[in-house]
Amino acid sequence: MLSDGGFWIVQILNSLQLAMLLFLLSVGLTVIFGLMNFVNLAHGSLYAAGALIGYSVTMWTGSVWWAYLLAPVAVMALGWALYGLVIDRMRKAGPMNQVLVTFGLIFVLMDVQRYIWGTDQVGVQNAPFSGSIEILGQIYPEYRLFIIAVGLGVFALLYLALEYTRLGAEVRAGVDDAETASCLGVNVERTFLIVFLIGCALAGLAGAVALPAFSAEAGMGIAILIPTLVVVVVGGLGSLTGALAGSLLIATTLTFGQVFLPKFAGILMYALLVVILLVRPQGLFPARS
Amino acid sequence: MTGRATFRHLFAAATFIALGVYWTQAGYFGHEILAEIAVFAILAMSLDLIAGYAGLVSLGHAALFGTGAYLFAFFSVVLGWPVGLSMVAATAATGVIACVVGAVVTRVHGIFFIMITLAIGEMGHEFFFKNRTLGGDDGFAGIERLDLTWIGLDLNTPATFSMTLIVVALAIYLALNRLIASPFGAVLHGLHDNTTRMRALGLPVRRYQTSAFALSGTIAAFAGTLTAQHTMFISPKLLHWTLSGEVLVMVILGGLGTLAGPVVGAAALVFLRHELSDMTQYWGFWLGLFLVLIVMGGRNGIIGWAEWAWRKLPGGDRRAPAGEGPQGEGREAADAAR
Repeated sequence: MLSDGGFWIVQILNSLQLAMLLFLLSVGLTVIFGLMNFVNLAHGSLYAAGALIGYSVTMWTGSVWWAYLLAPVAVMALGWALYGLVIDRMRKAGPMNQVLVTFGLIFVLMDVQRYIWGTDQVGVQNAPFSGSIEILGQIYPEYRLFIIAVGLGVFALLYLALEYTRLGAEVRAGVDDAETASCLGVNVERTFLIVFLIGCALAGLAGAVALPAFSAEAGMGIAILIPTLVVVVVGGLGSLTGALAGSLLIATTLTFGQVFLPKFAGILMYALLVVILLVRPQGLFPARS
Repeated sequence: MTGRATFRHLFAAATFIALGVYWTQAGYFGHEILAEIAVFAILAMSLDLIAGYAGLVSLGHAALFGTGAYLFAFFSVVLGWPVGLSMVAATAATGVIACVVGAVVTRVHGIFFIMITLAIGEMGHEFFFKNRTLGGDDGFAGIERLDLTWIGLDLNTPATFSMTLIVVALAIYLALNRLIASPFGAVLHGLHDNTTRMRALGLPVRRYQTSAFALSGTIAAFAGTLTAQHTMFISPKLLHWTLSGEVLVMVILGGLGTLAGPVVGAAALVFLRHELSDMTQYWGFWLGLFLVLIVMGGRNGIIGWAEWAWRKLPGGDRRAPAGEGPQGEGREAADAAR
């Protein structure tokens, strides 16, 4: 098994695919974390909302492409409502109260999802790229390659936006030192809101993209939340590169851990987090130097 | 502090009396609920010791609770030790684990403390989830209760069992009150208010934080041995971080940094959950909404609202004695800010 090139290719692709989903989720969370110092435990619930809304959109329109477009928009609207009602008011409340409020939101959002979509798993059939291709004698589903492409595409877009647009400069300034940025005439509050909404939209996109590969159910957000938080802390708060590096590291740990040490895959991930927190608490690629 | 402390003592006394009165009226199901309340009251008080008094908010507290339960089951069922000895051994062993974990986690602060306790707790969850000897994700059954027939208590009847647990919870409440009033308690208060100043005063800050964490974990493990005997079945869910979150909710719901708060919060949450789950399958929605509103309300949980209402009552000036009023308010605001 170990000397078989195909085996390694498949496991590496599996890691990449999981990494890209984690990246789509953690990039929103890490920037909210780094820019606003806000811990949003309900971010996973937005991912679940994206998948479930994507399911309904696919059922109405008959095409998953509409889901990719509309689910992020709908989740962004949901995020806006949460921001106005809860999150904006909890900005200065300290990590403990933020954890508690967003913990409460997890339950609220999960039951709303159960009320609308029921408790069963739902899935879609007519996804694009539903075929398989052969890589070194191994059959691999094309859709997973599509997920990898989406993740890399989003990373490239965000990287360019962060480095070369005015908003990107404002975000970097805000992460570095929000007070000074504000004194220099940057509308930090507006930047916060835009970044938060983009993060919500990406969580929704992650849900919609995950839908054809895995099925969707209310509560799926809780399971993905913890790896996402681990990625954010390991990568470094507020850092785009950190989110990508953290996603790759955690996804590789989980995937290969599952293959070689099925008993300890989860433990490995947490051990990694503990080591990072003790040795390098600012994360691998901290946004603030 | 006297006015406020007396009020809180009275509040706790009222809660314990209410539980006692309910016990005389309750049937089989009521006694089961009472036993659950007592276990969670102990667990929530132990979490409040570090979260409310020492300012260390842990999302891995359930892992110590669950480890206590699992070690107890391992000693008493797998190794066949006597139940009483197993309780002591499981509590002590988990206490040692908590001491080691505490020494590690107190190196980081704020949100990172929350994350590291979450991670270590989840490691414990994974361990028991995958451990086939102790049933893995299927859980582990066949646990026996302590035999107290030699002093005339048959713990296998729900009424006796629940009353015993309530008395144990009351004893722990009184013991922790003594602890909080002691110099050790004063240090914890100081750590909560201003860690830097305590360090400047020459206190070995981390040693105190580690001791508080270890003590809190020991009490949590003891609560774990009780819950294992209550349900006679344990599963890895006891260690999951969402249970840590729920216990934190109990502390916040009742009132952070007060020992009466966790007791009231545990009673309220367990009751609400049973009542709401009878009425609607979407009880999580109402519970979550309630939690959001309580935290956003800005007062210190049920105790905070009760104190506010008491002061607002017409007839006589019930404001706290001079020197306490504004400071007390400030303290509460500082609590809320954490």
